[in-house]
Amino acid sequence: MKQRPWLFLLPALLLVSISAFIPLITVMNYSQLTLLPGTEPYFSGLENFVAILEDEAFRAALGRQVIFSFLVLITEIPLGLGLAMAMPKEGPGVGLSLVLLGIPLLIPWNVVGIIWRVFTRSDIGVLPAAFDWFGYSYEISSSTFDAWWTVLAMDIWHWTPLVVLICYAGIQAIPEEYYMAAKIDRASPWKTFRYVTLPNLRGVLIIAVLLRLMDSFKIYAEPFVLTGGGPGSSTTFLSTYTSRMAIGGFQMGRGAATSLIYFFIVILISFVIYIVMLNLGQGAGGDQ
Amino acid sequence: MAEIEVRDIRHVYDAGTADETVAIDDVDLTLQDGTANALLGPSGCGKTTLLQIISGLLQPTEGQVLIDGEDVTAKPPAERDIAQVFQFPVIYDSMDVYGNLAFPLRNGGVPEAEIEERIQKIADLLELNDILHSSPSNLGPELNQLVALGRGIIRADTSAILFDEPMTDVEPARKLTIRRRVKEAQKEFDITALYVTHDQHEALTFAEKVAIMRDGRLVQYDTGENLYENPVNTFIGHFIGSPGMNLLGCGLTKENGAPHAQIGPHAISVSDDIHHAMDLSWTDCHIGIRPSSVTVQVADPQDDTHYIPATVSQVEMVGGYQILTARLDDTDVEVKARVAHDYMIDEDVSIWLRFPPDTIQFFHEEEAVHAP
Repeated sequence: MKQRPWLFLLPALLLVSISAFIPLITVMNYSQLTLLPGTEPYFSGLENFVAILEDEAFRAALGRQVIFSFLVLITEIPLGLGLAMAMPKEGPGVGLSLVLLGIPLLIPWNVVGIIWRVFTRSDIGVLPAAFDWFGYSYEISSSTFDAWWTVLAMDIWHWTPLVVLICYAGIQAIPEEYYMAAKIDRASPWKTFRYVTLPNLRGVLIIAVLLRLMDSFKIYAEPFVLTGGGPGSSTTFLSTYTSRMAIGGFQMGRGAATSLIYFFIVILISFVIYIVMLNLGQGAGGDQ
Repeated sequence: MAEIEVRDIRHVYDAGTADETVAIDDVDLTLQDGTANALLGPSGCGKTTLLQIISGLLQPTEGQVLIDGEDVTAKPPAERDIAQVFQFPVIYDSMDVYGNLAFPLRNGGVPEAEIEERIQKIADLLELNDILHSSPSNLGPELNQLVALGRGIIRADTSAILFDEPMTDVEPARKLTIRRRVKEAQKEFDITALYVTHDQHEALTFAEKVAIMRDGRLVQYDTGENLYENPVNTFIGHFIGSPGMNLLGCGLTKENGAPHAQIGPHAISVSDDIHHAMDLSWTDCHIGIRPSSVTVQVADPQDDTHYIPATVSQVEMVGGYQILTARLDDTDVEVKARVAHDYMIDEDVSIWLRFPPDTIQFFHEEEAVHAP
């Protein structure tokens, strides 16, 4: 019975094919059809892809998406790393910090959106009231700037703890001897961070960056609940665009093509970042 | 290059809590300028703690650390000019070998020209020239440990270097090479060195003097020869040598007006010096004899009373010689003896053993007895 190992893999293969392979192939199929309600679908080749790539709304959503993910990474990664380094390493403070950090991670995405929606409402929200007190008129439903930074703040609040937890685990795993050696070698705190902490966290940081990149690139429920993509389309990201195209606009073929382009962009960016980070500082010359 | 002295060191971990442990107590030790020393002892005896107190990574609960007579107890490691090589190679792997060696110098603001000169010298000594621009992650643990050593001795003002079981990650076959280079570096720079290990062979081959610790206390600090020949107590006798000294519990009897050691029905003569120091009222006595000093005879020595009848219980071939274990007849005392590798002997055979009096050590309440 040489086939026996395959029997053990069968349940997992079935699950993965139902949840991933089959939908992906279906989407590939749809992406090359013109699918309009009430008409017979017909094959239209790459027409859907061309139409999307030429669509101004798509390019704008993609641009916003890239800026958003970039801002998420440059704030959440350093902030998460800093918090992880500041966390106590032993004692009762450890448990307390971990529980506090865990709370945002346990809340479902759309609930986070609702919490922030209440928080920012102009009639009963705490945030507008607080800004009002400082003389700033906070308007999430009409100011692009306010909507943007609020969506960003919400993501930072929700997901920085994940970065902290990953980094904290990585820091705990660095042998104490490295820090002892750095002390003996008269390394300044900055050099200790640069040559001990950072290189030892390379693997962990790659994971944190990739997770945050992919998740932020796919962000949907929170901004959808908080701003609905507005004001105008100022907080319409790629996922919002895609779902509007497919469900709101009844253009399943276009929606499928958007999904594939979307999928390809996520994989491409993740791959590039992974390769770059893997080689970053790896045995680089004797320079300082 | 300096003299290192620790005075009345005591160190307690988790003081005042339920986990309170005294790691080191009452340790006094002076390492002379430019000497190679080893710190030997079983795992958990406080060796690493003492090392970290000397390098300044730990503050002792009590006592002082002096470098060339200056009290440095309160100084951080960076100001003590003491290098340390750890159990596993501690390497900054985002820099190449050159960058690693340059690191302590750059941190001290040494000009690049001088750094290059210094690195060249160290690389020649440790034979690192070919890998200066390699990334440490491509080198094995042996070479990395040499790089770590090089980083320790690169500073011209390094006053001492401490090794904390540096051979742990090194393959047995390469230990000899690495140890030779370590030893050469120590000699070349005349650097005061302290080498922590639980392997007596490593300690004795590296060091001129070995300090032996047990349960947080310093038991004996002496040359290898003295540790072997004149152990201060039964612990050292048993710990040094492979196998260790035979320690045979004995009573004291008077024979011809002089005290003798007595094991069961067998009387054993000791040297005149020891015998003058003995007191018949003593209990808890041991005679100690090295397996290599025991004389073994297969033929019945007839009336020669210096020989004690015994029965072989085990024969082990240990490379160039054999270690046999024999039980003294009419007692349950076992003695190990060393015989040549081609000595024909079998288990359960009757033999006769002789303990030459001048090779016998005598211990009263575990402490060595010397001439009065």
